[in-house]
Amino acid sequence: MKERDQHNKNGLNRFRITPYLFIAPHVLIFIAFFLIPMIYGIYASFTKWDLFGSPNWVGASNYQTIFFNKESTFYRQFWNGLKNTVTFVLICVPFQISLPLIIAVLLDKRPKGRNIFQGIFYMPTLFSITSVTLTWLFVFNRTLGLFNHLFGTDINWYGEQPYAWMTIVIATVWWGIGGNLIIYVAALAGIDKTIIEAASLDGATGWKKFVNITLPQIQFPLTYTIVVSVIAQFNIYGQPLMITGGGPSESTHVLLMYIRNLAFGTGKSVAGMASAMSTVLGLIIGIVSVVQIMMIRKQEA
Amino acid sequence: MKFKNVLAGLLATTMVLTAVGCGSTGDANGNASLTETDGEEVEIAEEEVPKVAPGKKGTIEFWTVFTGADGTSMQAMIDAYNATNPDYTVNHRAIEANDLYLKLPLAIQSGEDVPDVCINHVERVPLFEENGYLEDYTPYLANSEVKEENYNPKAWKMTEIDGGHYGIPLDVHSYILYANMDLYEKYGNGVLDDGLLTWDEIMSVGDACVADDIIPIGMSWLRVKFLSSYGQLNGKLSSDGSTPDFNNADATKVLETWNKLYDAGYTHKEGDDPWQLFLAGKMLFCPEGIWMYNDIKESGLNAKMFDYPVFDTNSVGNWTSSHQFVIPKNDKRDEEKTQAVLDFINFIGNNSLEWAKAGQCPAHVSIKDVAEFQEMPQAFVADENEELKIYDFKYYGYAVESLDGVLGEVLFERMTPQEALDKAVQETKDKIEMGE
Repeated sequence: MKERDQHNKNGLNRFRITPYLFIAPHVLIFIAFFLIPMIYGIYASFTKWDLFGSPNWVGASNYQTIFFNKESTFYRQFWNGLKNTVTFVLICVPFQISLPLIIAVLLDKRPKGRNIFQGIFYMPTLFSITSVTLTWLFVFNRTLGLFNHLFGTDINWYGEQPYAWMTIVIATVWWGIGGNLIIYVAALAGIDKTIIEAASLDGATGWKKFVNITLPQIQFPLTYTIVVSVIAQFNIYGQPLMITGGGPSESTHVLLMYIRNLAFGTGKSVAGMASAMSTVLGLIIGIVSVVQIMMIRKQEA
Repeated sequence: MKFKNVLAGLLATTMVLTAVGCGSTGDANGNASLTETDGEEVEIAEEEVPKVAPGKKGTIEFWTVFTGADGTSMQAMIDAYNATNPDYTVNHRAIEANDLYLKLPLAIQSGEDVPDVCINHVERVPLFEENGYLEDYTPYLANSEVKEENYNPKAWKMTEIDGGHYGIPLDVHSYILYANMDLYEKYGNGVLDDGLLTWDEIMSVGDACVADDIIPIGMSWLRVKFLSSYGQLNGKLSSDGSTPDFNNADATKVLETWNKLYDAGYTHKEGDDPWQLFLAGKMLFCPEGIWMYNDIKESGLNAKMFDYPVFDTNSVGNWTSSHQFVIPKNDKRDEEKTQAVLDFINFIGNNSLEWAKAGQCPAHVSIKDVAEFQEMPQAFVADENEELKIYDFKYYGYAVESLDGVLGEVLFERMTPQEALDKAVQETKDKIEMGE
């Protein structure tokens, strides 16, 4: 007894460096490339700053402009950007969840060439955003594109709604199928097949088995992918930038495009305002994620 | 075991696809020049690593925005200079334009790795001068071969600011009109006999073209189209040099001309790529930059360059930009080295045929005596002066970005010209106020 107390005491009092060394690389990188820039970004959002001189403190005036000054370009840009970003999340995420799930269920039936199909569906995830958007730009080009040519249509894919959103969503969903697919395939493989067999013997239909057995069993990975997809899609930037350029009538001009343009556009940088917009975007993403994570916890309980 | 198989399969596909992915990215760059969205070159390229052997007294560090094929032409000119065994050899570093415009101020402010000379687009110079980033050439010009009379007068004057001189022009690059001469034979009805195309003349040949599914004129990269026509009417982005006020009658007139074309069906549909249509021989006239001529050469199209369309024959004007040599401020650079920079600039001016071959029009007058240049289609630009509509509004960047947001809306009639211009002016004003 005594010996162990002694040991514990020593253990508690002695500073052991080894564990810190293990986490040091991550912590240092986290501080240097995430924490410091984030804090500085929040600070910058309370200033007028052109990126080069020293920032001038202006208090909450940037926030006041984007929230209340209806006459201001920044008010219009912020709300239009936010509306478009949220629209995109709402259209895109359901497809990003359901499509990989359907494919995963089909693959789970162990069809011939399962591995090959899995590889094919996973492929686009490995491409860069530039390659993906260019591929779809070629497919949907009005005069020279594959789609209009094959189906004899004359649709102006990037210049008219709802086609502009369709193009962006199709490109994004296609790009991202693989990530969620892998998670679902693994989750489905983990389901005890005897439960499903038992249900079949009791006469349950395929749909009933899916809703009442499969879905509850993969509930956790499902919610996880929803959270991750929502966060990822709030950060949409490359696809509308390259596909529609934000058009038509700025209806696909997402918030990050405005932010980037303000901070790193052709003119002098408006970094303070850009920081204020990104801080609000960050907060929104944070709140949405916390709500979703709370929902997971509730389900677990 | 199964899982291992899946994993192995995935890894294999990853490897194969990384290779494929690289392939398509390369393709992307190849096409980037066709879908230019900006006056600044959009190609993505790796920065060049310094490699030149220093001269007797050292090297001149030279930053440029030439990351594409033009970088190779520039390098050839620099190599020729270095071959003359100067005291200072020149070390070329090509940096993508947007990066350069971020890196340059940072370098100047920190005093570390400041280039000795740098290429800037002329529109950038007024703001950089105001921020105190640039060296005044005036005291060095007296002892140098670099003389005002050796350069295109307009390109030279645009960097004369507050009694100082802040840039030496390398070139003038204009936005002009290409005409498909085969189609012109058939549909042109002699409208280019006087060498100029008016908007009314475009209207007069429109029906004949449309009847045969030929598009009369292409309308893309609208900001420079607007600036060309607006410049012809002597329009300015700001009449006092600081407050934007381009929401006026002249600007409205430009946009109403577009609406007339669109209403009559004389331009392409939204979403089309006019330059591709022109190269494919489906379009009679297409305004584009002189630097796009290499595409014409490659396609074998029988096309010629003319001045940008006009309202009447007395008001010729082409939107033009100019690459300028600027000297970033640096206390560590001595006078001797700065003088050597001017020698280098003078050498490039006198040996700029290579630059013309890259599709540009050199700003140095010596180029006009080169027979090979006279044969080039862009040669007429070298003789132009007031026709070159160069904008020097210090908030040019804000103004053109806000124009980008509305001009398409006007052309395709989702906004009236007045609404669009008011919106663009308001946006420019707000950004100026916030950037102060």
